Amino acid sequence: MSTPAVVPDVVEDIDLRAAPLEPWQVVVWNDPVNLMSYVVRVFRTYFGYSIDRATSLMLAVHHDGHAIVATGPRETMEVHAQAMHEYGLWATVRKAPQ
Amino acid sequence: MSAAAVEITLVTLEGVRLDEVVDEYTTLLSSADANDEALDRLAPNPYPDDEHASRDFAEATRDDLLERRLADADVVRRALAPFQSFRASMTDDDMLRAHTLEVPRGEVDAWLRTLNAIRLVLATRLGIIEDDDHDPEDSRFGIYDWIGYRLELLIDAEMGD
Repeated sequence: MSTPAVVPDVVEDIDLRAAPLEPWQVVVWNDPVNLMSYVVRVFRTYFGYSIDRATSLMLAVHHDGHAIVATGPRETMEVHAQAMHEYGLWATVRKAPQ
Repeated sequence: MSAAAVEITLVTLEGVRLDEVVDEYTTLLSSADANDEALDRLAPNPYPDDEHASRDFAEATRDDLLERRLADADVVRRALAPFQSFRASMTDDDMLRAHTLEVPRGEVDAWLRTLNAIRLVLATRLGIIEDDDHDPEDSRFGIYDWIGYRLELLIDAEMGD
């Protein structure tokens, strides 16, 4: 093993607890207009989900009234929500329940 | 399955009607009427419980979203251009003649989003709130169902069924 040529002489003390990574969620809600095949198509192509996963998410939306389709940083979730809106799906963004 | 284009076959009558419907939809988007419920459905609120976040999101994204919807609709209208000459006059022979459009795979999403958005607008106008809010006696549902049928066919065609 070689020694790094440059050793940083400042050890930054970053307290990760000060900025906890709070996950956010994109929730897609049921509506009577969007076709089941269309919702599966959107989940497959936009998120790259398998047909099985996309189908079970679609069924969860249909039967339970909503489903969490993505989890991650808030900014990313807003991008996903906007894409869902562009496809006409009714999506909301929320902080993941603790 | 991996063909470069997806085929959509429409008879002249359908093509002309679809072109008109997309045209009306484009007019609605351009109006950007803040009080129109249908536009709210096309640009929903992702923060229904947070007025502040919802306003910020709308300011940052709503116009952009409607612009992209217009761009999508434009893709569809360009593909439907061959039907425009039939708007003024159509013979009986013309009406049921089939035309096949080749939609490049890269444009399929614009078609899907546009057809689906038109259904959302119609649903708002027709007051479709529950799954069973469907009156088969009301002829206005005909176009709503027809657009759904075309949407379904396009998804099947893309998947290679």
